[in-house]
Amino acid sequence: MPGSPLLADLIEALRCLPGVGGKSAQRMAFHLLERERTRGLKLAGVLREAMERIGNCTRCRNFSEEPVCALCANASRDRQVLCVVESPTDLAAIEQATGYRGQYFVLLGRLSPLDGLGPEELGLAQLSARLGEGEIEEMIIATNPTVEGEATAHYLAQLARAGGVKPTRLAHGVPLGGELEYVDRGTLAHAFGSRQALE
Amino acid sequence: MLLDQQPAYVLHARPYRETSLLLECLTRDHGRLGVVARGVRRERARLQRAQLEPFQPLALDLLLRGELATLRGVEPVGMPLRLAGDAGLAGLYLNELVVRLTGRQDPQPDLFEAYDRTLPRLAEEGTLAWQLRRFERDLLASVGYALQLETEADSGEPIMPEGWYRYQVEHGPVACTAGAARVIRGADLLALAADQRPDAAGVAALRRLMREVIRFHLGGAELHAWRVLAAAMSRR
Ligand SMILES: [Zn+2]
Repeated sequence: MPGSPLLADLIEALRCLPGVGGKSAQRMAFHLLERERTRGLKLAGVLREAMERIGNCTRCRNFSEEPVCALCANASRDRQVLCVVESPTDLAAIEQATGYRGQYFVLLGRLSPLDGLGPEELGLAQLSARLGEGEIEEMIIATNPTVEGEATAHYLAQLARAGGVKPTRLAHGVPLGGELEYVDRGTLAHAFGSRQALE
Repeated sequence: MLLDQQPAYVLHARPYRETSLLLECLTRDHGRLGVVARGVRRERARLQRAQLEPFQPLALDLLLRGELATLRGVEPVGMPLRLAGDAGLAGLYLNELVVRLTGRQDPQPDLFEAYDRTLPRLAEEGTLAWQLRRFERDLLASVGYALQLETEADSGEPIMPEGWYRYQVEHGPVACTAGAARVIRGADLLALAADQRPDAAGVAALRRLMREVIRFHLGGAELHAWRVLAAAMSRR
C-alpha cells in the first residue's frame, strides 16, 4: 500500500480471517478507516481481550474465560446426558437447532493420524475421567459423518462402554428437502442401510 | 499432463486456501499425488466433497503440472465401501502408512493393487490384524524394502519352520535360540511369505516384527495410528 506501511500491515493481518483474501481485506481496512473508527477501536479492544483471556473450559473444553464455562456451571442442565462434538461450532449448531438440555464435551478435532490428532490431543483421558464420575448415563456421539468422524465415534463408543455409559449416535440420512437423485452415494447407502420400520 | 479417469483413492484431505482442499491421493499409474480440489469447501459443492472421502474407489480427471495436480473431475467407481468400527481405524492406519512410506509422484502400480485389495478385506470378521500384516508386507516390497522371509541372512540357508530367528532390518533373519528377546518362529516368517495366516501368536509376532521394520524405515519415528489402534484394541 503506497504511503502507509501500517495500512499494508492491517490488510495483511485481516487476511487471517476465513474466506478473506487480499481484495476483501483491503475493502475491510478502508471501510474501518473511512467510516467506522469508533467501532474499529472497539473491535481492536475486544479482539485483544478475547485473544488473551479466552481459554478452554476445564470440564467441556469449549471456549471460556472462566475455568468452568457458563454452560457447564448451569445447574438446570441435565447432568445425565453428555453430547460429544468435534468443535465449538458444532456445539453452537446443536444448541440452536435442538432443545438439548444436557452437557457437552468438545474434542477440538477428530481422530486423524495424518494430522497428528490422537486420543491425547482430543482430551480423551479427561473425557474418561468425566465418565468415571458416575453421573452420566448416556453419551451422545455427534462427531461428523466423515470417515474420520466415524472412526472417532467408534472409538468414543468403546470408551463409553468401558465406563459403563450407554453410547448413542446421531442418525444420518437423506437431508430434509433433498431429492434422492441428488444425494451422494455414501449418504444414500448409509441411509438405506439404517432404514427404520414405520410405526 | 492430463490424466483421464485415473483409478485412485483419497488418503487424506486438509483445508487449502480459502475454499479448497489439498488431497493426498493414491493413484494407480502415478503413485501418490498431492491434488488440489478447488472450491469444494463451498456449501454448494457439498456433494462433490462427500465423494472425496477416503476408502471410496474413484476415477479422477487430473491436470498434473509441477508439484501438485489439480482435480478436474471425480466419479465414484462401484459401491461405496463402508469400513465401520475397528476396520475404519485400521483404514486410517493404512492411509498413514502409505503417506509416510511413499514419496509423491513415484509410480507404484503394485501398491495401488495391494491397497485396493486390502480395503474390502478389512471389513472381514476376525482377520483384521492379519490383513494389516499382509498389506505391510506388500507395501514394504513395493517401496523397495521387501522382507527376506524364506532364507537366512548370512548363510542363505532355508528358514526352518521349527527354528527361531531374530530379524535384522536390512539384513534378514538370523538363527538364534528360543528364549532370546525379539525372536520369531520360522513358521511365522514362512507363513507371511506364503500368504497363509498363522495362529494368533504368529500374527502378534509378525506385528512386532513389522513395527520394528517400519519404525526403522521412518527413521525411528512412530506412526500416530499405532497409538489409536493400541488403545482401541486394548479395550477388546
Ligand atoms: Zn464447559
